[in-house]
Amino acid sequence: MVGIFDFAPAIVLLPFVSFLVALAVGDRLPKGGALAGIAATAGSLLLAAATFLTVAGGRTYDATIYTWAEGIEAVDLTFGILIDPLSAMMLLIVTLIAFLVHVFSLGYMNDEGEVGLPRYYAGLGLFTASMLGFVVADNLLMAFMFFELVGLCSYLLIGFWFREPGPPSAAKKAFLVTRFGDYFFLVGVVAVFATFGTAAFSGSESFPVLAEAALHGEATVNTFGFAPQTWFTIVGLLVLGGVVGKSAQFPLHTWLPDAMEGPTPVSALIHAATMVAAGVYLVARMYGFYALSPDALAIIALIGGFTALFAATMGVVKREIKQVLAYSTISQYGYMMLALGGGGYVAATFHLMTHAFFKALLFLGAGSVIIAMHHNEDMWDMGGLKEKMPVTYYAFLSGSLALAGIFPFSGFWSKDEVLYETLIHGLGGSPVLLAAYAMGLLAVFFTGFYTFRMVFLTFHGEPRTQTASDPHSVRWNVKGPLAVLGVLAATTGLVNMVPVEKLLGIGGIDFLHQWLDMSTESLNAHHYGELIPYSSAYIGGEATTVAIGAGVSLGLALAGAGLAHLLYNVPEPVEHTDRLGGIKTLLYNNYYQDEYQVWLANGVTRPVARVANKFDQGVVDGVVNGVSSVSLFSGSRVRRIQTGVVSNYAVLLTLGLTALLLAFGLLGGWFV
Amino acid sequence: MFDLALQAEPAATWTALAPAILLGLTGLVLLGIDTIRTDEASNALLASVSAGGSLLAFGTAAWFLVAGTGQERTGGAITLYGDALVVDGMSLFFTLIFTIVTAMVVVASYDYLRDHEHRAVFYSLVLFAATGMTLLSMANSLATVFVSLELASLPSYALVAFLKNDKGSVEAGLKYFLIGAVSSAVFAFGISLVYAVTGSLVLGDVAAAVNAPEMAGVLGIGVLMMIGGFAFKTASVPFHFWAPEAYEGAPAPISAFLSSASKAAGFAVAFRVFVEAFPLGALPAGVDWVIAFQVLAVVTMTLGNFAAATQEKVKRMLAYSSIGHAGYALIGLAALTAGGPNGDVLGASMAHLLVYGFMNTGAFLFIALVEHWGVGRTFEDYNGLASTAPIAAVAMTVFMFSLAGLPPFGGFLSKYALFYSAIEAGFWWLAAVGAINSALSLFYYSRVVKAMWIESPSGDFEIQSRPVGLYAAVIFAGLGTLLLLPAFGPVIETAQTVAATLF
Repeated sequence: MVGIFDFAPAIVLLPFVSFLVALAVGDRLPKGGALAGIAATAGSLLLAAATFLTVAGGRTYDATIYTWAEGIEAVDLTFGILIDPLSAMMLLIVTLIAFLVHVFSLGYMNDEGEVGLPRYYAGLGLFTASMLGFVVADNLLMAFMFFELVGLCSYLLIGFWFREPGPPSAAKKAFLVTRFGDYFFLVGVVAVFATFGTAAFSGSESFPVLAEAALHGEATVNTFGFAPQTWFTIVGLLVLGGVVGKSAQFPLHTWLPDAMEGPTPVSALIHAATMVAAGVYLVARMYGFYALSPDALAIIALIGGFTALFAATMGVVKREIKQVLAYSTISQYGYMMLALGGGGYVAATFHLMTHAFFKALLFLGAGSVIIAMHHNEDMWDMGGLKEKMPVTYYAFLSGSLALAGIFPFSGFWSKDEVLYETLIHGLGGSPVLLAAYAMGLLAVFFTGFYTFRMVFLTFHGEPRTQTASDPHSVRWNVKGPLAVLGVLAATTGLVNMVPVEKLLGIGGIDFLHQWLDMSTESLNAHHYGELIPYSSAYIGGEATTVAIGAGVSLGLALAGAGLAHLLYNVPEPVEHTDRLGGIKTLLYNNYYQDEYQVWLANGVTRPVARVANKFDQGVVDGVVNGVSSVSLFSGSRVRRIQTGVVSNYAVLLTLGLTALLLAFGLLGGWFV
Repeated sequence: MFDLALQAEPAATWTALAPAILLGLTGLVLLGIDTIRTDEASNALLASVSAGGSLLAFGTAAWFLVAGTGQERTGGAITLYGDALVVDGMSLFFTLIFTIVTAMVVVASYDYLRDHEHRAVFYSLVLFAATGMTLLSMANSLATVFVSLELASLPSYALVAFLKNDKGSVEAGLKYFLIGAVSSAVFAFGISLVYAVTGSLVLGDVAAAVNAPEMAGVLGIGVLMMIGGFAFKTASVPFHFWAPEAYEGAPAPISAFLSSASKAAGFAVAFRVFVEAFPLGALPAGVDWVIAFQVLAVVTMTLGNFAAATQEKVKRMLAYSSIGHAGYALIGLAALTAGGPNGDVLGASMAHLLVYGFMNTGAFLFIALVEHWGVGRTFEDYNGLASTAPIAAVAMTVFMFSLAGLPPFGGFLSKYALFYSAIEAGFWWLAAVGAINSALSLFYYSRVVKAMWIESPSGDFEIQSRPVGLYAAVIFAGLGTLLLLPAFGPVIETAQTVAATLF
């Protein structure tokens, strides 16, 4: 039967085609290939929506499309498509945001008269296609390949303005830092193949299922002499290396703030739907594997909680609007990691979804502000933009409320569930989770503060510069995406109102839970719930715990926002953060993270590389040069034999034959 | 009486010789045209008749090979004229190489000969030499081996010396002839010694009588002298001295012809004679030709490659590189063992010769193109050629990298199959020597590529014309080299199947 799933490859291929079109004939198309990109992502969006509806009807799809290396008594390497509720949801998010980013780019790039537009739209197309390919991947190797493509595209797009000094360096940094994480990922992929002989995500022969069976002693896998539990933790942490790099988790988060050098729509795409989301999505995709390893989960939770707090504190002192957003992204992905590590699979997916909408919104809103400000990003040069650009303001406000986690905006619901899940599992006897929870909770305050500091500085008060009092106007192609995302950021939280369900006892409004439970047996949320090694405990009952958790986090968010209101929602705000003194310098310099990484590169890697170079130049090249000079020397000898005198040749020929005759004759005993 | 004889034979057995007959007839037709046309016959007519004849022979051989003529599924090898000739899969496979190279060479010669006289003689000599080669691959008796060897060689001497007013060409022809005479003498002496031991010239009968321990010495000397004869034809050490001189002095299409087709012919007959007449299991102790070929293979590939690395002139470099490739192809005989995967080894060598037929012919024809333009002969003279003749330079790049054995070209797979089969047969060290030599060869092949693409032109030269025939032949060879990568599967399968029937 031809069903919608037969068109699943087209979701990935359409943006790829737009990449080819923009690359080949983009300079001859109107708008530099933008229309092809918009058409392609719109097509993908429609297909993704149809796929989503089909999945909603309770069907999933897992098929191998192409076997590109057939193993003889070894593993097959394949490309395949896995569509289940998780990937269907992600497809919808990615295609929607990619579509809106394409439209927005008309305003941000075309209307601003940028050059190199075909290259830009080609990059966007390939970026989208790579991410979609990653989302539908049905095995870890294919996921890895598209993961790398995503990395490549981010490199190309961050460095789009390669003639300026900043972007190429930022692009290189993003590429190298994420590549560092991906080395571990690659080793992890090989380890998965070596251990299980397959890297499939789904089905009865998938590696999470095999791992589970191996732990129960029902299957044997090659664990290289380790206990299965230990080995699975090692493999999980190897793959996690790639996740930490891509999702910008501590300590590999340093590339992300620099990546703001790219065009703002690209930042929106990177932060909301593609590059950074890829890491968290990967953990969610193979959650059945991570859930088997309490140690890996604990490490994920700790990394997540720490990153959430750590990045939020840095966001407090930044001057540029996009820098604030960058640190908020790191922090928010920290929450998702916290949820995954804390056993909240649905909570993480939920936050991934809401964050995709409100962060895309905030970036596009920031882009709109940047257009208005003639590409000045310093918030201290803004102020009072509220009246001049109401659409941007209200949309941005909606996104900010969601980011800060204020009821009833989407971020409140998802962040609350993240914290709630972590809390109850922590109370159930996991002090590590409680520590991670505490960090996550504290970060809520900082989030509220920096978010509204940004809002007030940008939009409220009096204009602090000439540009701010007379901003550049923006067109429909900027306002349209903002409006769509503004509505989504406000409302998507309603798909999973767990606190309302628990407090008021209304059953069946946790739609996302039900949605993620519809997947196949080994991939659904219920199964993961059984796998995770945590038990739950409550403070005086479930409803009370829900109420306390939600109340505390909302209270902290409001406190942060309120403090920002006191300090910055005045006509002439001053830099209150100066009062932090030395701490501000520390925060402003990002805890000197970059410095120590540069020191690592210069102080450790360089000397090692120098030794390796010495070895290469001296020993390896020495041998090679030796061989070549010997061969050149003997070659010139041969030339001398070739005198050009034919009688010499006859003599040599005869002597050669005689030598052969004598040698073989003596050996073979012919002359006896 | 004659009618009866024909009827007594199974219908049309002699038609199995069609490729050889077609080549010979085409040569005669060319002479006929020259005789009838009192004025200088049209170059285009002669070239197209020659190309048509060789392509017809190619098509016939391909048809036979596909239809199974002389192969096991249609009743095995067809022997003719008292076992003097045999048509089987191997002879047909080699006929494919000879005829396609001949076709490329005559098409390319169309432009090369534009300003020369006696063109009909040139074309007919090429076709007669091709006839000789085809017969060589079919020879099943030492007498026919010798006669067809001479039939292939004598036209070659004349062809090398074809540029009568060019001192280099005439000198090269004379040297080639003199060395050839010495080699033929050695070869004939070897045959006579083998005859003295076995009392027969037919390969099968020789094999039956070869196990005579009391005559092992005589047989050994005879076998070794026959190796000398084949070494001359394949330009292997120590009978290689003629090759650099002849290739350099000869008209470039003839260099292509000699280094590809003629070399392949030498291998065709060597494969058959040694496998059929001196089977490994039946030899008396002390006569082990495999070791001799191992020594020759290693020395030939090493000497060829080392000498090629130091050459200043591209054509001479190619001449030495073709000696090196003879060394690789010798692995086909050097890695044989009693009871080993001999069909695989021999088949891999045959497949390599086929790919080599395309890439080496193409490379020499590119030289012909460059000579046609009057660009110099050294590496420096090639500087910047890619900017003036990009298509030809791309083709030459393909030839060079394919000769070096780099993917994604045919030469990669054929060399890989050859070395792999050697390892399979247990001769990993032969493969290792081959691999080291290949690595060295990349050095001098890439010098050509570097000169064409990276260096800037040293002098001003303008390309006056873009000769159709030469271009067509070069591009055809380039396409063949490329397409033999995806098509290598059937080629190696066919080669190894037909080779396996010899054992």
